[in-house]
Amino acid sequence: MNLWRDIKGTLQAYAVTFSYLFRKPTTIQYPEERRTPAPRYRARMVLTRDPDGGERCVACHLCSAACPVDCISMQAAEAPDGRRYAAWFRINFARCIFCGLCAEACPTLAIQMSPEYEICKRDPLSLVYEKEDLLIGDGGKDNDYNFYRHAGIGVVNPRGGNADEYGPVDPGALVP
Amino acid sequence: MPTLTIDNLEVTVPEGTNVLEAARALDIVIPHFCYHEALGAVGACRLCAMRISDGKVSGIQMACMVKARDGMVVSTLDPEAVELRGHVIEWLMTNHPHDCPVCDEGGECQLQEMTIAGGHGNRRYTGKKRTYDNQDLGPYIAHEMNRCIACYRCVRTYRDYCGGLDFGVFGSRDRVYFGRVRDGQLESPFSGNLVDVCPTGVFTDKTFRFRSRPWDLQEAPSICPLCSLGCATVPGARFREVQRVRAGINREVNGFFICDRGRFGNGATNDPQRPRRPRVDGAQVAMETAIDTLRERVAAVIAKYGPQSVALLGSPRASLEANTLLHDWARDLGTTRLVFDAHAEQDRAARITEAHLEHQARSLNDIRHSDLVVLVGTDPLSEGPMLALAVRQAVRAGGGVVVIGPKPIDLPCRCSHLPVSADQLDDALRCLAGGSADALAAELRDALKELRDRLAAAQRPVMAGGPELLGSRGVNTLFETVEALSTAERPMGAMLLLNGPNSYGGAMLAGRGPNFDMLLDGIDEGRIHALICLETDPCRDARNPARARTALDRLELLVTLDALPTHAALNADIFLPTSTWVESDGAFVNNEGRLQAFARVMEPGLPLRATSPDSYPPREFFLETPGSEPWPAWRILARLLGRSEELSVLRREIADADPRFAPLADLAPDAPGIRLTTTPGLPHYQLDRETPG
Repeated sequence: MNLWRDIKGTLQAYAVTFSYLFRKPTTIQYPEERRTPAPRYRARMVLTRDPDGGERCVACHLCSAACPVDCISMQAAEAPDGRRYAAWFRINFARCIFCGLCAEACPTLAIQMSPEYEICKRDPLSLVYEKEDLLIGDGGKDNDYNFYRHAGIGVVNPRGGNADEYGPVDPGALVP
Repeated sequence: MPTLTIDNLEVTVPEGTNVLEAARALDIVIPHFCYHEALGAVGACRLCAMRISDGKVSGIQMACMVKARDGMVVSTLDPEAVELRGHVIEWLMTNHPHDCPVCDEGGECQLQEMTIAGGHGNRRYTGKKRTYDNQDLGPYIAHEMNRCIACYRCVRTYRDYCGGLDFGVFGSRDRVYFGRVRDGQLESPFSGNLVDVCPTGVFTDKTFRFRSRPWDLQEAPSICPLCSLGCATVPGARFREVQRVRAGINREVNGFFICDRGRFGNGATNDPQRPRRPRVDGAQVAMETAIDTLRERVAAVIAKYGPQSVALLGSPRASLEANTLLHDWARDLGTTRLVFDAHAEQDRAARITEAHLEHQARSLNDIRHSDLVVLVGTDPLSEGPMLALAVRQAVRAGGGVVVIGPKPIDLPCRCSHLPVSADQLDDALRCLAGGSADALAAELRDALKELRDRLAAAQRPVMAGGPELLGSRGVNTLFETVEALSTAERPMGAMLLLNGPNSYGGAMLAGRGPNFDMLLDGIDEGRIHALICLETDPCRDARNPARARTALDRLELLVTLDALPTHAALNADIFLPTSTWVESDGAFVNNEGRLQAFARVMEPGLPLRATSPDSYPPREFFLETPGSEPWPAWRILARLLGRSEELSVLRREIADADPRFAPLADLAPDAPGIRLTTTPGLPHYQLDRETPG
């Protein structure tokens, strides 16, 4: 009978709600209580360093090209040893949507997503992070990779000095 | 005219076209590196492989090496051809470094595109990579030989097309090296083209090194403003500064290349010293205030001394629109004292050229296909470098070049030289035309007679000259000579290298008006009290700069509209900052009467590098861009005259008012341009008939 079914349906919902009153709550009292996210959690990005301590970022502009909200801008510059680096690197976290496309695009593993998700300030300008604010002291999730040891144009090792390269050829050689 | 089928589409192409070009006519893209429209096909990169079924040359063939034949059936998507192309890319990549993130070519690299197109993603080859040492090629070109894929485009451009001798290919087998014998600046004035032709990052623009990615650049089709030839360029700007200029494509004018001056000589727009604020009597004011003051002051001078006391000076640097509005303003004011070039002799030469060129006009493309070019009193490498490059192409195709002038000039090709002193050029031209020339040495007369015979035998002869040495008399004689040597069935062409990018346009507007020296007389004699300079500095551009400087001091009112920190700009009573050619739309008429439009690349503004010297951009927000005060000159004049400030409307009005400028109404940038024809019935300028000022 329809009437019975309706009464049962109404009471059943109350019963479920009532039973939850005696369970441990899933919610926590943020911000008094805080969760520690997993190390692989992908919140705001950081800039990492190569094993030698140098900045990994080569200011290739791939992250700014990949960024769907255009929150990254930078200017590349050249160090005396020929190393390409970011003269300035700026990200507007007020605009960032934590999509992680920049980290995916980064060819040198410089950009990695960190578990820091608490970005909330009263002044929007303080959400604009410069390179110094983003740089961390180590290589993040991969401490061994150094782009310039694979790039094949010198800088860290002398030209032709990487493991997968022959030394510079002598174009004047007459040996066949 | 063979008709062939490519990917089931039929196309008819001219005799001698190769299959790759035929496919391009159908908009079918066949991957390639070594083929270039201007350089031709050499079949070196093996990337344009495709299957040809049926006919003499069936099987997998290189598209650029096979001439299109009637009935040919071509498949670019044949699985075997696709597989071969994939392998070729993989081979090319075995030695290519892993450095795209730090390579300036990244984003506009043909090798990147072809690697993606070829489907190569994983490196299977486990051997070591070949490396090279780089060379220092001077301040303009960066060298990174490790990236080389040996397509030979650089050598073909530098040595074959541009005639440079200090660059080449060295070594053997997989050690081939593209560079100089030893480090040093590349000597060719066309060396910058290496940057454009290199399909990967071996040669990159050092002035643009690590500045921007191509996808971040604001780019627009433009016209080079540095000489009168009007080559197509594509300037790229970012952070409110022009960061580089690359060659545009205009098959009628520059083809695919530009000279190094046009490529690397564009610092004026970014100059932090550039005056960007309107000034009245030294005090900075708003643009609208300055324009109102200008109107009042000019009216005051006219009320005091009459309309003829105001003189207006246009310029070969200013756009056709701005010059036309200046012309209209003079008409409204009621003054006839209007000039479009501060250099009286260059002005006269431009007006003679405008009056006579019409059917004798030849484009750079015509010169490239000429079989005998005579250069009279001109040094193309300094007056219009691309003319020298066009002449070289004529020589490469079997043509000849004769230089008539006081001393041998540098040309990137072989040429014969007839030594004639500057004051005898006129006589020499008359002698060439068959006139008597007793003043000339017998030897020279014989040489000229021989040249006359050669010209008579030539099919497409062109005579090119420069007014700087010829003078206006010489320019006039040149046209008479060309006329005398022309026949109905074999006309002879002429090309004059004029003073600036819009000399011809100014000459069209000048008509029979006075020249600037007459205006200087007027100032000295107290007849002229106000001078308005549009994007020109008489103290630098006039025939006698010192005289212009003293004359300017006598003026009651000096008004300057300009973008450069010139004497006239800094000492003007009223100064109105104008935007440069990258910051505004406009049109120029080049030296053959070709009307070409240029588009705005960026908004005016002080470069970020100037506002933030420590290279960090400011963190504060501004509603107004610093340094954005300059307006296009035509907009200032339009506001002054109460005309429309919409360029399309303005162009329509100019086109309607003067039938000679009719093509201006529908002019588009990034087009070959339209050669203006002088409408019969309008008064032609005649030599020595200037109305005194």
